[in-house]
Amino acid sequence: MVNFKINGRSVTAERGDTIINVARREDIYIPTMCYIEKTSPCASCRLCSVEVEGHDGFVLSCNTPPTEGIHVITDSESLKTERTNIMRMYDVNHPLECGVCDKSGECDLQNKTLEFNVGQQYFSAKDQPRKIENWGLINYDPSLCILCEKCTHVCNEVIGDDALDLLFGGYNSKVIPKNAETLDCTFCGECIAVCPVGALVSSDFQYSANAWELSKIPATCAHCSAGCALEYEVKHAGIDSPGEESIYRVSNNFEYATLCGAGRFGFDFANRASKDEAAFDAALSALQNAEAIRFSSVISNEETMILNGLKAKLGLKLFNEDARHMQTFMNAYANVSGKRHYSATLETLKASDGIIIIGSRIATDNPGVRYATTTAARHNGAKVVYMHPLEDALLQNTVTQFIKYEVGTEEGVLALLAQTLLVGKELTQREQAFFDGLDEGYLNAETNVGDDELALLVKQFMRSKSKTLVVGSDLLAHARAENIAHLVAMIEKYSDFTVLVVPTEVNTLGVSLIADLDIDVASKNVVGYNAKGSFVISALGDGNLNVPALNQQEGTVVSIDKRLLPTNVALSFDGYTLNDLANALGVYAKNTIDYTAALPVESGFQAVEFDSLENFYSAKGADIRGYTLNEVTAKRGGHPEDVDELPEFNGAVIYHVNPVLQFNAFTAKTVQLEKDNNLYGSASFAAAARLGDGDAVAFEYAGETVRRIFKLDDTLKGTVALHPTFDLGLNVTSGYRFEHVNFYERE
Amino acid sequence: MMSLKEFENRNVSEGAYYKVDIPDYPETGWEKAKQVFSRAIKGELFVGLYIVMREMIKFDIHTVQYPKEKLPIGPRYRAVHEMQRLWESGTERCIGCGLCEKICISDCIRMDTKIDEQSRKQVTEYTINLGRCIFCGYCAEVCPELAIVHGGRYENTSEQRAHYIGYEDMLTPFDMAVKGQVAEYPGFGAITPHEDERVKSTPLAY
Ligand code: SF4
Ligand code: SF4
Ligand code: SF4
Ligand code: SF4
Ligand code: SF4
Repeated sequence: MVNFKINGRSVTAERGDTIINVARREDIYIPTMCYIEKTSPCASCRLCSVEVEGHDGFVLSCNTPPTEGIHVITDSESLKTERTNIMRMYDVNHPLECGVCDKSGECDLQNKTLEFNVGQQYFSAKDQPRKIENWGLINYDPSLCILCEKCTHVCNEVIGDDALDLLFGGYNSKVIPKNAETLDCTFCGECIAVCPVGALVSSDFQYSANAWELSKIPATCAHCSAGCALEYEVKHAGIDSPGEESIYRVSNNFEYATLCGAGRFGFDFANRASKDEAAFDAALSALQNAEAIRFSSVISNEETMILNGLKAKLGLKLFNEDARHMQTFMNAYANVSGKRHYSATLETLKASDGIIIIGSRIATDNPGVRYATTTAARHNGAKVVYMHPLEDALLQNTVTQFIKYEVGTEEGVLALLAQTLLVGKELTQREQAFFDGLDEGYLNAETNVGDDELALLVKQFMRSKSKTLVVGSDLLAHARAENIAHLVAMIEKYSDFTVLVVPTEVNTLGVSLIADLDIDVASKNVVGYNAKGSFVISALGDGNLNVPALNQQEGTVVSIDKRLLPTNVALSFDGYTLNDLANALGVYAKNTIDYTAALPVESGFQAVEFDSLENFYSAKGADIRGYTLNEVTAKRGGHPEDVDELPEFNGAVIYHVNPVLQFNAFTAKTVQLEKDNNLYGSASFAAAARLGDGDAVAFEYAGETVRRIFKLDDTLKGTVALHPTFDLGLNVTSGYRFEHVNFYERE
Repeated sequence: MMSLKEFENRNVSEGAYYKVDIPDYPETGWEKAKQVFSRAIKGELFVGLYIVMREMIKFDIHTVQYPKEKLPIGPRYRAVHEMQRLWESGTERCIGCGLCEKICISDCIRMDTKIDEQSRKQVTEYTINLGRCIFCGYCAEVCPELAIVHGGRYENTSEQRAHYIGYEDMLTPFDMAVKGQVAEYPGFGAITPHEDERVKSTPLAY
C-alpha cells in the first residue's frame, strides 16, 4: 500500500497499481487515447501525462507506479498545453471523413479533438498515399490509424495470436500483419473493438449503419460456455424490408471483456417464422405420444425447466447425453470434493500463474478459456502445461510445456498427474492405497507420459502461487469419466490447484444442474428439441415446428464461471415457443421467464426474478451480470477406483473438433464465419488411413454417412485427424470425441 | 424600417391605436331604406364593371394561368427536397453521413448505405416520407455537403397520404449537372454569402 495525493486528495494505491489506476478508481479524470485496462500500457499517446510536485517535467500516469508521499497534479496550464499540442499532432492530415466513417459518434479522436478544441490544423506534413487493406473480416485504413498500438497489444497479450505488428517508419508507420503478407489469425475481431478510431473496422459492417442509429441489446453469447457479455446492435433491416429489424454488428465492453469471432461475427442465426397452427398441433400430438424428448444444450435454463415440467406431466423421458455426461462427472467430483461446483472461474484463471489444461482442444472448444490463459501467461508469466494427444498451433505462444498422451488413456494420465501433484499430501488410507496400487510402468508405457515430463511439470510450477487445472470435454464423455472426476476432485481437494471444468456447449452446465435426465436409448418415438428425433422442434429453421433461437428470447444460461447470465431478445420471433406448447399441454406459465425464479435452489440457483437480473460491467470493470450460483455442499464418500485397462486406439483415428469460430449448427448458419469442413490430418495419418491430399472420403458418424475431403496439414502430427461436426446439423453425438473410423467408398 | 428598439417597446398602447372612421350601422327602418337607396343609385357597381371592361380591352390580364403558369417563389421557400450533384463531374453530393436522417424531427428520412467497390460509402436507397415531412428544413441545414436542399416544387398529389419520395426523384438529372445547368441553390440549406472569406487555410510548409 502506497499513500499519496492526487490534486490534493489523499489516495492509496494497491500493489501493481499505476497512477492512472488509482485516479480512475477515485473518479479523477485523466485523458487518454491509447490506454486500455486489460493490457499492459501502450504508452504511445502521452496524453495521460501528469505532474508531480517538486519534480520537473511530466510523468506518464499509465505506466508509473506512485511512490509514497508524492503529490500528483492531473490538470494544470502546462499539462493543458501539452495535451492540446498532442491532439493537434494527431489531427495533422487526419482525413476529414467523419461524415462517412464508421467510428463517427463513438470516436475517441473526435471526442478528444472537441475536448481540446482543435478547430484547425496548426502543423503540416506532406501526406502520402496510403492503401486501404482488406484482411477478410477486417478492413484497415492506415490514413485513419493513430498508431495507438491498442490492437497489437490486445492481439498479443489477451488473444495470443500475436498477428499484428507496427511497422515503424516515421510518418509512414502503420499496422501490418506480423510476418505475413495478409492477416492470418483467428479473427476474434477484438482489434476492431479496441481501435479508438475507424482504422480497423468490420468489413461486413463497414458503411452499413451509423453508431447512433443502432440500439444495443445487452445479451450473452449463445455459442460457447464462456458466456461472454455482448451487445447485439440492431436497426431496421433496410428500406426494402419495412417493419423488419436485423442485427448489424455485435460489440462488447472491450475495456474489461473479450469476445471471440464467433460471438462478434456469428450473430445472424435468428429463426424467422410465423405462427403455423398445423405444425403446432402436430407438435402437441407428437409430444403427447412421444416416449422421450431429446434436446441439445443450446437452450436456456427456463426452457429446460419447461422440459422438466413436460417430463413430469406427460411421463416422458429426457435425453441430453452432453449434459448427462456433465452431470455424471460433476456428481462423481462432488462425491470426493464435497462441493457441487468446481472451484475456478475465468477470472481466477486469468489471475493464475500456473495452468494445466487437459482433455480439450481449448483454443477452439472455448476461446474464453484460451484468452484467460493468454492473459495469465503474458501478465503473470504463468507457466502453461497443455496435455493432449494433439498439439495445437494456436497455443504455441502460450504453452510452456506440451505433454502428449495416447488417445483413450486419459484415466491413466490423470492417475499419474494426481500422483505427481499429491506427493506428500495427507490422503485417506483408501486413497493412499490407490496410489500405492498404481502400476506406473504400465501407465507410463500406455499413456506415453514419462516420469521426466511429469518431473519437468512439477519443476515449472515450483514458484507458482495460484494454480488452475482446466479439464476439458474429452474427459467428460470418457467411458471412465467418473473415476477421472474422482481423481480431478482429489487434486482440487489436496493440492493448491483450483479446478475449472469446461462445459461443452453454451448451457451444458445449466442443463446438468436443472434437468432430470435419462440415459439416451435409441427409442423410435422421440421428439427432438434442437436435436435429432422423429418430430423435430427446431430453432434452426429446418424442423417440423419453428421455435426462437437464443438471440430471440429472454432467458438465462449458466456459464463456465457457474454464473447465471441473462440474455435478451435481439430480434423478435412471431411463431410459437416451447412455453406455448407447454401451456397447451397443461404445464402453465405466462412467460418463459417466469421460471427464472423457480430454478432449483439445491443446485445453487437463487430465487431471483428475471427482470431483476443485471447485465453489464460497471465503469470501473465490476462484472454485474446475473448472479454467481451459491456453493452447494455435497455428500462425500467417493474415492478413486483402480485404473481400468487402458484402451488402445490404433490405426486411423478422428477427433471431433470444430475449426476456429465454429461450434455447432447455429454458428454454421451464420454468413461471415468461415465454414471449413475438410478432414485435416498429418502425413502419418494419411499413411495409416491410406489417403492422399484432396481425396474424397466417406465414413459412418452418428449412424449416418459423412462425406469429407481429406486435406494434408503439415502442422499436425500423429495418426489422429481433425473432424469438424459443426455442419452436420442435428446429427451430432456427444460421446468420447476420439473415434476409430473405417473410410469406405473412396472416390 | 423598424429598428430593434421599437420592437423592444412592449408598451403598445402608447399612441399606437387610432380610430377607424366607420359610420354607425343603420338602426331604424328609415336609416336602412336610406342606405339601400344610396348604395343602389351611387352606381358603384358600374365603376367595377368599367374597370373589368377596360382591362379586358387592353388585354392586360392579371390572373395567373395556374397550373400552366406559376408565380415565382422566394429562395427561402421550403418545398419538396432536391438532391444536388457536383458541378461538372456530376457526382452525387450525398455521402450518406446520415445526419439528415438523424436530425429529422418527424423521423421521415430513411437511408440504406453500403461499401462500394472502391471502398467508399455508397447510398443505395434514400426515401423521405412526404406524408410526415413538416418541411422544417433541418435536413437541408445540417447537410455538410449541400447535397439535400429544399426545392420549389410545392404541388404534391398522391393516392396515399404516406407518399414516399425516392432518391431518384429528388436527384438532379446527371446531364443537367455535367452541362452545368444546375445553378448552385440559393435557398434553404445553401451556404451563406462570403463563406470563402471565412475559410481557414492549412499551413503548408512543403
Ligand atoms: S476516425 Fe474518428 S475523427 Fe477520424 S474520420 Fe473517423 S470518426 Fe472522424
Ligand atoms: S482479429 Fe484478433 S487475432 Fe486477428 S489480428 Fe485482430 S486481435 Fe489479432
Ligand atoms: S489500427 Fe486502431 S488500434 Fe491499431 S494502432 Fe491504429 S488506431 Fe490504434
Ligand atoms: S463463442 Fe464463447 S468465447 Fe466466443 S464470444 Fe461466444 S461465449 Fe465468448
Ligand atoms: S446530410 Fe446530406 S450528405 Fe448526409 S446523408 Fe443527408 S443528404 Fe447525404
